[in-house]
Amino acid sequence: MTTARGTVLVARDVHKAYGRHQVLRGADLEVGPGQMVAVVGENGAGKSTLLRILAGTLGADRGEVRIAGTLGYCPQEPVVNDNLTVGQHLRYFAAARRLASLERASELVDLLRFGQYNDQVAGALSGGTRQKLNLTLALLDDPDVLLLDEPYQGFDWETYLRFWDVVGDLRARGKAIVIISHLVIEQDRFDLLADLADGRLTIRATSAENAHDSH
Amino acid sequence: MTVTDLTRRPPAPRQAAVFRQFPTAWRFALRNQARNRLAALLLVVFVPAWYLLMLAITGHKPLTFRLFATGQYLTVDSGHLTLISAGLNSVTMIVGFAIFAAIRRTLAFDKRLVFAGYRQATLIAAKTCAIAVIAAAVALYTATVLLAFWRPGTGGWLAIWAGFTVMALTYGAFGLLLGVLVKGDLEGFFLIVMGGLMDTFLQNPLGNPLANNPILAWFPSFGPMQFAVGGAFAHQALWGYLALGLAWAAAFTATGLVIFQIRTRTRRHPG
Repeated sequence: MTTARGTVLVARDVHKAYGRHQVLRGADLEVGPGQMVAVVGENGAGKSTLLRILAGTLGADRGEVRIAGTLGYCPQEPVVNDNLTVGQHLRYFAAARRLASLERASELVDLLRFGQYNDQVAGALSGGTRQKLNLTLALLDDPDVLLLDEPYQGFDWETYLRFWDVVGDLRARGKAIVIISHLVIEQDRFDLLADLADGRLTIRATSAENAHDSH
Repeated sequence: MTVTDLTRRPPAPRQAAVFRQFPTAWRFALRNQARNRLAALLLVVFVPAWYLLMLAITGHKPLTFRLFATGQYLTVDSGHLTLISAGLNSVTMIVGFAIFAAIRRTLAFDKRLVFAGYRQATLIAAKTCAIAVIAAAVALYTATVLLAFWRPGTGGWLAIWAGFTVMALTYGAFGLLLGVLVKGDLEGFFLIVMGGLMDTFLQNPLGNPLANNPILAWFPSFGPMQFAVGGAFAHQALWGYLALGLAWAAAFTATGLVIFQIRTRTRRHPG
């Protein structure tokens, strides 16, 4: 498959059914470096299914996905080990990613402010802190393409704002970011809105993008 | 718009990873097991209580039976024979439960590790080693507690310990297999408890007068039971029967790991 130069994520004609229930019926998406896309849609529209197919944790029935560079995926429900501490999680994923240091990990822990839980097992963490850990594990090796499935569930307002600081920094450094979003108020933060309805994505510019274009 | 292939980025310069994959996975697999408090409690309370109870029920009547492996008739203390059965049964339940719980609960997490770049073979090897160490430790503990009720002599005790170890490896592997196959905790626990009870108690000629029925040779505990009984009462090392038990462990492990490999794999999209 070929596509436009400078695109780091391309999905073409993605189909997926669960039994007889057809969820995706030819979804297309293209994301470039430094671009931030919100996937929006009603409950049950197939947003998480789409993201899992983009990530490669779920197979599509038909269609193709291409990703250039490294990939980070933050699942909706925290996937952590309740018996391991926060610090152990960071070391485990540093081993998975073959990282040369834990520098980025400590930076993210500081930015999201959960350093005080370093020695606590994940099973004893609050929902919000589990989600911080879940997000940190996806960002650990500073991937080129980021797929985040409602990554701020359970965050307090302060952490929510800090999350957008982290994401803003990633975007500024040329990372491609796809986020499943529910909140209308935050849609101006994105470059594009990808509206998932009837199994297909309709791409719309956000008002922020319109304002940017008119300058 | 120019149409070209997606740009492939050059790989990042190779630097020495700060945490190596095998030692990290091995350490955390053991730590994950060590935090299973219920299994630890079962070990401390259930093992001696089970020995005590089984011995109290059986008493010390003489029992004559034909040892399947050698064909010879042995007259033994029925209490001692039951202690071997009870020990085998304890390790099936404790090791089976501990490994099943650990594997099932971390399956999604392991998949995420593989997604993040963990080599599946490394993760599998680390988990297998951790299972073997835990199985061996539980078997050693169970065989040691047995000494409080019966002193079978060094050779006999070593045979019992070896039988317990192979039994623990077999049910550790069975726990692994169920952990990657079964959806809920309850189904898995039920299969381990019922499987372990049927398997071990049908081998005991006291509980089952038909314990010489050839069909019992097809049960996982057959080999370890024959080895332990042969060593403890007939003073023979029936290595072939120990190997038979190991074959069960190897078969369960291989099947479980293949399913683990399938269930934790992720697709890598082309660039």
